[in-house]
This record gives sequence, structure tokens and C-alpha cells, in this order.
Amino acid sequence: MMGFAKRHADPLIPLIGCVLLIGFGALFFPKFLTATYLLQQVQIAAFLGVIATGAMVVILLGQIDLSIPWTLGGAAIISTAMAASGHTALEVLAIPAGLGFGLLVGVINGVGVAVFRIPAMVWTLSVNAMLLGLAVINTGGFNPKGEASGLMIAVATKTTLGIPNAALLWLAYGAGVLWLFRRTTFGRALFAIGNSEKASFLSGVNTTRVIFAAFALAGFSSALGGLLLAGYANQAYQSMGDPYLLPAIAAVVIGGTSILGGRGSYAGTVAGTLFVTLLTSVLSVFQIDPAWRQILFGAIIVAMLLTQRRRIM
Amino acid sequence: MSAFVAMKGVSKLYGATKALTGVDFACEPGQIHAVLGENGAGKSTLMKLMSGVIQPTEGVIELNGTPVTLPSPRAAQAAGIVCMFQELSLAADLSVGENILLGAPGTGWGFLPRGRLARARKLLDRIGGEAIALGARIEALTLGERQQVEIVKALMRAPKLLILDEATSALTSTIVDKVFDVLRELKAQGVAILFISHRFHEVEAIADRVSVFRSGQHIDSFAAGSRSQAQIIDLMIGQPMDELFPPRNAGDIGDEVLKVEGLRLPGGFEDINLTARHGEIVGIGGLDGQGQGKFLQALFGIMKGVQGRIEVNGVPRSITSPRDAASAGIAFVPEDRKTEGLIPNMSIGENLQLSALSRFRGGLIGRGNGIDPAAYDALIAELELKFAGLDAPVSSLSGGNQQKVALIKWLALAPDCLLLLDPTRGIDVKTKAQIYRLMRRLSAQGMAVVLLSTDYDELVNLCDRVLVFYNGQIARSLSGDALTPEAVVAASMGVADAA
Repeated sequence: MMGFAKRHADPLIPLIGCVLLIGFGALFFPKFLTATYLLQQVQIAAFLGVIATGAMVVILLGQIDLSIPWTLGGAAIISTAMAASGHTALEVLAIPAGLGFGLLVGVINGVGVAVFRIPAMVWTLSVNAMLLGLAVINTGGFNPKGEASGLMIAVATKTTLGIPNAALLWLAYGAGVLWLFRRTTFGRALFAIGNSEKASFLSGVNTTRVIFAAFALAGFSSALGGLLLAGYANQAYQSMGDPYLLPAIAAVVIGGTSILGGRGSYAGTVAGTLFVTLLTSVLSVFQIDPAWRQILFGAIIVAMLLTQRRRIM
Repeated sequence: MSAFVAMKGVSKLYGATKALTGVDFACEPGQIHAVLGENGAGKSTLMKLMSGVIQPTEGVIELNGTPVTLPSPRAAQAAGIVCMFQELSLAADLSVGENILLGAPGTGWGFLPRGRLARARKLLDRIGGEAIALGARIEALTLGERQQVEIVKALMRAPKLLILDEATSALTSTIVDKVFDVLRELKAQGVAILFISHRFHEVEAIADRVSVFRSGQHIDSFAAGSRSQAQIIDLMIGQPMDELFPPRNAGDIGDEVLKVEGLRLPGGFEDINLTARHGEIVGIGGLDGQGQGKFLQALFGIMKGVQGRIEVNGVPRSITSPRDAASAGIAFVPEDRKTEGLIPNMSIGENLQLSALSRFRGGLIGRGNGIDPAAYDALIAELELKFAGLDAPVSSLSGGNQQKVALIKWLALAPDCLLLLDPTRGIDVKTKAQIYRLMRRLSAQGMAVVLLSTDYDELVNLCDRVLVFYNGQIARSLSGDALTPEAVVAASMGVADAA
């Protein structure tokens, strides 16, 4: 269909960016080239990587999920509260409940987009606002009480054979999603709907079900990311998800997925995630003002969007 | 008479592909010049060169005898060359009036000269578009109505050379006649007109001169009427061809496959009864927007609020989505292959699989979906699909080959009933003949074929029985000797009895 270079172009650009960032950092700080630093980056990237996976599924549909921050935060609050409740039954259910919450939010997003046919941008933003409100009512505006369970901490912070568990989880999760994209009718329908929902519907594809499943998967991914972050920090905290919305979308877009839907590769999203994580690290090592970091992130997304403009003819 | 636009030794290469080689071609003022050729013959390239969309690789274009370059469509328009492209170029979210005035002379800085809209209204009325409100959004219009708007948009620019590329492909014959009246008037005023159409009777009705293109070369030009239809077709395909329309089924018409009773959709159509049997092709005709399109969409589960009874092979079916229809054995080839029938950015293979996606066991693409891959191969061979490989995107195919993919993807499912919406619109003669033969074969093998067409040649020569819609109802059912072009046209205009 296409040449090798073109087929693998999606992850290539962010990967070259990663090499440049590491090389640049190493000029000033030799520790950039140590295994410790790089493994630590992969561990941190895993959190964003899981969240970006969900964002990508929805972006492939030509939609967007702006409820990432409080889906993530809500799942973390529920899990940590249950894990620290002192009741064995609640403690056991802490992780499933957090993930189930993410699925539920995803299904609510799916109802709005697939059944009521409201633009995802507005619907998911409203859902995010409502979740924020619920969290504030629940905690009274203070930091939520509770702490992460042993399993959450082990997955988020420990290593196996020197490899961070979080990275292994990301690898397994990514492999699963890649399999969905390549080998299942759901994956095929996802790309088809992203290209043309009308033609897919007229071909007998159950578009409603696919949109539902995609948003549910996105909600689940956000929740999984939330549990990892809670395990990493051993707590949930207000607005813990806010710093992840823009980077997650950035990782997907930098990885070459079309914001209009229907085109993208998972390898691109992985590379985009690594790039965003490394960039954040480099900027903080060089003590760049957070204001400038925000400007830079915005500019990079804009630059990527400019490369995938719609042609006039 | 001297030419208005002349091309001398013009070639156009896309990489190694020769779209046009050494073409000499001229169009003269006050003449309607028809350009004929199969898809891929180079007609569209010719039009794009004349209207400034692309530049020639070799050769010169002369305007009134002076060599010129036309760097953009805007420059061509300034020179009086106006092109109405086959790909409709209207902004769907804007109103009819806004679209007509978009980029029209004198509107550059947002000022609307007085009288412009009134003139647009008058032109629309003249070509049978009385029902199209200037304030209506393009999105709400049918394909035919959009073409009418396109035509008015082109006329508003006061062309000296008007290029019509398949401009009438979705229009019904009465509207085409009105458009032709306007074209003849322009001709009398000295406007040069280039007319591209795949409908022979239209070319015969209007053209003064005919040029035939084949494989990027200008084969011949001659006065209209000096060659027979068969001779022209031979020139177009480079070899003699069988009759365009296959003979009707000589054998018996068999059992009922599709039976529709009392189907109605408020605001769409009323009380439609239809039966389609083994071995027959049922045609559906009528003016644009008389409910026939909605009726077929209703049969495929696209319309909401449909009442009535649908039976497939004697089994009553409740059809509320395309999925239901597909599992009831109904296939549907929509009107617009680029946005409805196919996904141009995806590969041919993926497009072919799309209609069978729900049949993969366990939702896994690796496993079988009950369709023998040989079924695809056989259809591809029968329709002579020209493609680089199943991995190539559908957008790399010519229009005729795209339509073949849109057909194959459904036919591989071996449906009992095939619904077709204008499947040969804008398609070359050779592909048309292939599709006609395929429809005949399928119907002879027991598939019920229902064909909605805006081309009465098709209805009269291919179909066994034609139902003409008027005002949401079946005005007449024509078959046998009663099935004549005159009868179809009369019935579609609501005339009770033409005889």
C-alpha cells in the first residue's frame, strides 16, 4: 500500500524528537544517559500512556473525551477511600470499583454521543464538570481521605527484574489495544466510523455499539491511569487529573493520529507519550517556568495539527 | 469561425502516468461541443486544464489565438471560462443563495450588488427549480437539486466558455430539457459550451459537435448526427461492443422474493405496494423527490417511522436499521458512492469486508465470516475490476471501478434482494454495460433487483417493469409494450394517460 517510510512515519517523528531531547539533555547532565533515569521516565510515561490509549480510541472515532481529568480523579478517590475503609470486603473491591466507575462514566459519555448525538466536546466537558462537582460535595472541598492499596502501590512504584511494573502494565495494555485495532471487527469499525460514520452505518455496522464501546474503553483507561497515579502518590488528591488532559491529547496527536478520526497508529501514540514525558522532564530539569511549558505544549499541538490540515481539494 | 479556446499539442503527466498525450482541441463560440469517453479517457484532465485547476506538462493553450497560462480557476474565470465540476462543489451548511453568490463577480468584498439574488431566483425558476428556496440549506437538498444550484451558480458568472462536466447526471429528463433550453439560448448569444455526459440521448439532443477521447488521446471529432450510437461507442472503447443493454429474460418470471404491502412514511410516501420476483428487474422512476428515494431507504431501514409490511421470500421482516435489512437478505447500493457507499481512504479489501463485518465469528477478523473468498474473486473477475491490489485505497480507483467495489461488497453476501440507487450515474459506457449484464445474471439466478434510476434509457431498455412515483405514490406501473420513454416521462409528470 505505502512504502516502509510512510507506513512507519507516525512514530518516527516523536521518536526522533525523543533522541534529540535525550541528546540535548545529556550535553548538560550526563545522568540523562543512565538506565536509572531512562527507566524512571518510562515508568512515568506509563501513567500517561494508559490515559492516552483511551484518548486515542475516541479520537480515532473523530470524537474527543474531555472528561479525562475527573474520571481519573473520581476513580482514584473511590479506590483510595475503599482501600482505607478498614472493611475487608470494601478493600477487596477497591480496584474493581475504581475501574467500574471509569466504565460507567464512559458509558454515560457514549449515551450522549451515540444516542443523543450531542457533540462529544460539549457533552464530555459537561460530564467532567459534573464529576468535579460530585467530588467537591463528597469531600467537602478538602483533600480526599484514604490511601492506596498494596497492589496499587506495587504496580505503580515497584519493579520486576529491574523493569518498572507500571511499564509492564502499559506494555500489556497496549498489546491488548493493538490486538483490538488489528484483529477485531470492533477495531475495523472504529477506523471505518472515524472515516465515515454514514458509510459505515449504511454498510450495516452497528455504529451505536461501537461508539459506546469506544467511550467505555476511554473511561476505563482514564480510571486505570487514575489508580496508577494514586498508587504512585499513595493517595488521591483534588484535581490530580488536570495536568493529564492536554498531554494525553498531545501524545495522541504528536503520534500522528488524525484529530479528524479514522487514521492513526498505536506505535505513534506510544512514541508520542514518550516524547511528551521526556519533554516535561527536560523542561523541569532546566527549570523552565511552568507558564512557558504550557505555551510550548500548546504550540507543539498546534504545529502537529498544522501538518494534518484538511486539503481544500 | 475562430476558436475561443484552443489546445495545441497539450500533454499532462502525473509522474509516469500519461493523463493526456499530444491533444489538439478547440471549442468555438456559439457551439455546443460534446466530449465523450470512458472514465479515465482524459476528459476531466482536459476540463481541469481549461479551467486553470492544473497546468499542462507540454503544449500551449490559446485564448482567442493568443497563448495564455491559466494559473488558477480564478484566472480562468476572469477570462470567461466557467466550469461546473462533476464533484459537486457546494458548501453544505450555507444557503442556496449564499452558494450561488459565493465568488461570483462583484461580490469580492462582501458587497452584494442589487438584483443579484433576483437574477439567481429567475435562473433557478427557468431550469425547473421553482421548489428550491434561496434560503434553503444545501444539506437539505437532493442531489438533483444541488446540481440545479450548481448550474445556476455557473450561469451567474456570465461565461464565455461554459464547461459542464456530468452536470445533468442526477437530473430528471424534464429538468434536463429546461436546462437545455437555457443552454441553447446561451449558444445563440455566442457562448461556447463544452458538454460532458454519459447519456447518449442527451448528447444527441443538444450537441452540435462531438469529440471522442480514449486513453488520454483525442480520437476524433465530427458533426453531431454524422455517426451512429454504435459507431461512437466503438470509437470510445476502441473495439466493437455488444449491445449496451443485455436482452431481457426470455424465461418465466418466478416466485415473489420481495413483497411490500401498504408501506408508508408520513411526509415521504403513501401506501406503496411492490413485488419483485425471480428473474425480473423492477425499475423505479419519477421526478426527483417524489418519495421513491425515501421508499428504498425505508426498505433498508434508514428511515424512522415507517409503517407497513415487508416480506422477504415469504417471511415477514421488521427492518429498523441497515443491520436488520442486511440480515433479512437485503442489500443497498446508495446514490453517492464517495460518501455513502464507500470509505475512499480505506483499502479496497477493508471496504469489501465492511458489509460483512458483523458476520465474523466472535468479532475476530482472523476467523471466517461465512463468505468464500472465491466469491469476491469471481465478482472481481466478472466486473473486470481494475486495481493495483486489495491494499490500495478505494480513492485510487476511477469512478466506475469504485462503483464496482460498492456493488461487490454487497453481492459477496449473496443477498436475496438488491436495491440500487442510480448505480450508473456518471459512469462510463463499458462499466455501465458490465453492470447491466451483472444485474441480468443476478436476476436470472433468483435475486430480486430493484433499480431506481434517473436515466429513462435504463428504465425502458433494462427493466421488465417500471413503477413511476409521483407525489409520494406509485402513479403508474409500466411493462411490456406500454413501457416507452414517453409513457415514463408522462407518468412522472403526473399526466394520467399518455396514450
